[in-house]
Amino acid sequence: MPPPGKHYRGNRKGSNQTHTLASVARETATSLPADSPVLAIFKDAARKLNERQDRHERLVKLSRDVTIESKRIIFLLHSPITKESSENTLTEAKDRVQKLINGPIKSIGLELENSPAHLHGRAVTAGFQEFIEARTLLSLMAEKRIITYPEVQKELEYDITDDDNQRSLVTMLPESDYMLGLADLTGELMRKAINSISSGDSEECFQACQVVRHLYTGYLGITGSRLLVRKLPTTRANVNKVEMAVYALKVRGGETPAPLLLPAAPAEWEPPINLSDDEGYY
Amino acid sequence: MCENHVINTLFTDFQSNMDREQEIREVIRNICKDVGQISREATTVLQVIHHNEAGINPACLKARELFEKAREGYARLTEALPPNDYYKYQEHWRNMTQRYCFLIALTIWLETGILATHETVAEVLGISALERKTGFHLDIEDYLNGLLQLCSELSRLAVNSVTRGDFEKPMQISKFVMELNAGFRLLNLKNDHLRKRFDVLKYDVKKIEEVVYDLSIRGLRPKPEPVVEG
Repeated sequence: MPPPGKHYRGNRKGSNQTHTLASVARETATSLPADSPVLAIFKDAARKLNERQDRHERLVKLSRDVTIESKRIIFLLHSPITKESSENTLTEAKDRVQKLINGPIKSIGLELENSPAHLHGRAVTAGFQEFIEARTLLSLMAEKRIITYPEVQKELEYDITDDDNQRSLVTMLPESDYMLGLADLTGELMRKAINSISSGDSEECFQACQVVRHLYTGYLGITGSRLLVRKLPTTRANVNKVEMAVYALKVRGGETPAPLLLPAAPAEWEPPINLSDDEGYY
Repeated sequence: MCENHVINTLFTDFQSNMDREQEIREVIRNICKDVGQISREATTVLQVIHHNEAGINPACLKARELFEKAREGYARLTEALPPNDYYKYQEHWRNMTQRYCFLIALTIWLETGILATHETVAEVLGISALERKTGFHLDIEDYLNGLLQLCSELSRLAVNSVTRGDFEKPMQISKFVMELNAGFRLLNLKNDHLRKRFDVLKYDVKKIEEVVYDLSIRGLRPKPEPVVEG
């Protein structure tokens, strides 16, 4: 007896058997009329799905543009070393943030103008988070305070005039994205604190440390957000690092040459007061 | 310190928004529990089609009654939902809605033998078929998912019809599912949950074709003129 596979092949080649599985399937498929109502339903569905996917792709692209530019702005904000150069940097950063708001972020708003909010949330969340990181870092450096969620949302409102029609447009920024971006801010502040040690500005280092602590304390109190909980370990690591850096500055500050010392630094050693009560949480 | 105050407000505001969201979720969850219960009841009612030919019509009538109840549930859901947030809370009713799409499509197929459109299904549930910026609607993906569930159920029905001695129904099912199969091939599916569900379709098709094949080679296939039902 030949193996079954061989037998089957031989059979198909040899006789004109019409009742094979494949032939029955083919027969049914070809007997479909091209203009059947079922196909019309599916053509309509295909159109809807394609529209949705295309929009999604466009939003992912825009979100990536926002991410890249935001990262560059953050990098720019880290770069100045002297007080004078930081003035210039702040102006440039403000300018670029404004361009971002009027460019890709506005386009996101236009894309989403007629579709339900949150449908494409996943496409844009990365961009929004990075943008918030840049925007809050800028506000912290320029105004010494963190810009609040309603304030940022207000910045994303536009008035559009086309063909004598005036309408207002809002790029919906989910509050959760704002909070996630803020969690990332602790990482930037940590970097900033450590940079400011090397440039000798210990006052700034302490300030940054204080903000990181406040933020971390705030996050510990939040319940009910799974995404935030996922970021908490990173935030905790940032708090640790920045506190260790401040501690080192205090303890070993006495060994640094005098001009680099902060005015408040005591000549003799005293217990490191910067190990805050936050430490009790882990 | 002023900074501390700003940060505190920031977090308390966020927490109160989160709390409000939790409350809405709670309301939605409760409604979905009730409406989901009705869908399970309807599923059970429709199971009779697999073993009792005479039970099909009464089952459809009963199912229709249950859909009326579900319609009320969806009205409550629409009311409870903040107009902008359909996709924020979608996970709560997604499975249930897909189940309803399947049940409604099955009922309509049993009654008339035709495919229920997206609009028809939405209408039975008393919701909109159009995806608008605000409000509640029937998501196209949920509708398609329901159709895929329908194909699985029909493949089972094809087998059971033969057992019952009904050799015509498998032919009707075969034609219907092949049409759906051809339709699904028109869709540009991404690598998402709908695509995964679609991958099951070929096994359903295979199962139905095997039934048709078995009938054909034994000469049990209703031959002379193609039987048109419904």
